[in-house]
Amino acid sequence: MDKLANRLRKDADNIEVAVSDELDHRIAASLRSVTPQQDSESIVTSQRPALFWWASSLTGIAAAAAVIIIVNSGTSQVPAPATPATTVTATPASIAAAVPAIDWKAETAMLTGQLQQELDALQSDIKKAERKVKDDIGL
Amino acid sequence: MIQIPLYLLLRTETQLVKAAQAGSADAFADLVHHYRDRLLRFLLTRCASYADAEDALQDTLINAYRYIRSYDPRWRFSTWLYRIAIRNAAKLRTPDVLEIHELGDVENDPLLQCIADSESENLWNSARHLLNDEVFAAMWLRYAEDMSVNDISKALDRSASWTKVNLMRGRRALDAELNGTNRKSEAYG
Repeated sequence: MDKLANRLRKDADNIEVAVSDELDHRIAASLRSVTPQQDSESIVTSQRPALFWWASSLTGIAAAAAVIIIVNSGTSQVPAPATPATTVTATPASIAAAVPAIDWKAETAMLTGQLQQELDALQSDIKKAERKVKDDIGL
Repeated sequence: MIQIPLYLLLRTETQLVKAAQAGSADAFADLVHHYRDRLLRFLLTRCASYADAEDALQDTLINAYRYIRSYDPRWRFSTWLYRIAIRNAAKLRTPDVLEIHELGDVENDPLLQCIADSESENLWNSARHLLNDEVFAAMWLRYAEDMSVNDISKALDRSASWTKVNLMRGRRALDAELNGTNRKSEAYG
């Protein structure tokens, strides 16, 4: 321990500070009203009991089973081919033919009408300005 | 009936920590009993008034007990406690008081008031004027609280290299002050 360190330690010890009785009572009263919080690990554990994991596992299994049943029931309705399978080439035309036509009952919305009017007004202003410039310079 | 203090039954800090983590306020009170005066003295270096230091101490102990279950025993308990104290002191600082030592005069500085009350020449008085708050805190934790460089780094949330460099600068500034060679250019801390 060198001279400076000794001096600093001694001088720090010479600074006499003590917790007053009043502060002591305040702290004791405050501590009585506080309970330690659960740490994050135990909070997570308590928020997710074993039942949660069972419920989520069963839900996942049920969803997977439902998907398998739907897929299998869809394929079982397709009749088994009587002749040996032939290779079918999927061209855009054949795909378009296979997709049923949907009769959309919709009308084109006139959403650009106001923009078109604005554009016309601006073009008109430009023409007027051009004309005025030409008049001013005598063309 | 004679009531035996808990600290006589649970002698080690680790045992007291475990009891406090289990919810024993008495164990916590015993655990922090011999830190309180030292913490208050340290908080005087970080707060703008004696009352603020007392409030910071109360908040520190309450927060330490509230979050005792998150205490990581890989740290020294004192380091964890001082880190909480530093944060609580910072919360009490108003935005217009960025540097406590800038207050400058004895009337407004609670630590200097205590030093003045002791009526003896004190090197921490010079340190207060020569070093900035962070370097002063590092020097205090090293020489008044006997913390290691790693513990100071954790308490102040600084790197070990920052701590080493600033401890060296602080020492150099105080050495110069002690030896009468006032090298103000290096005495920034």
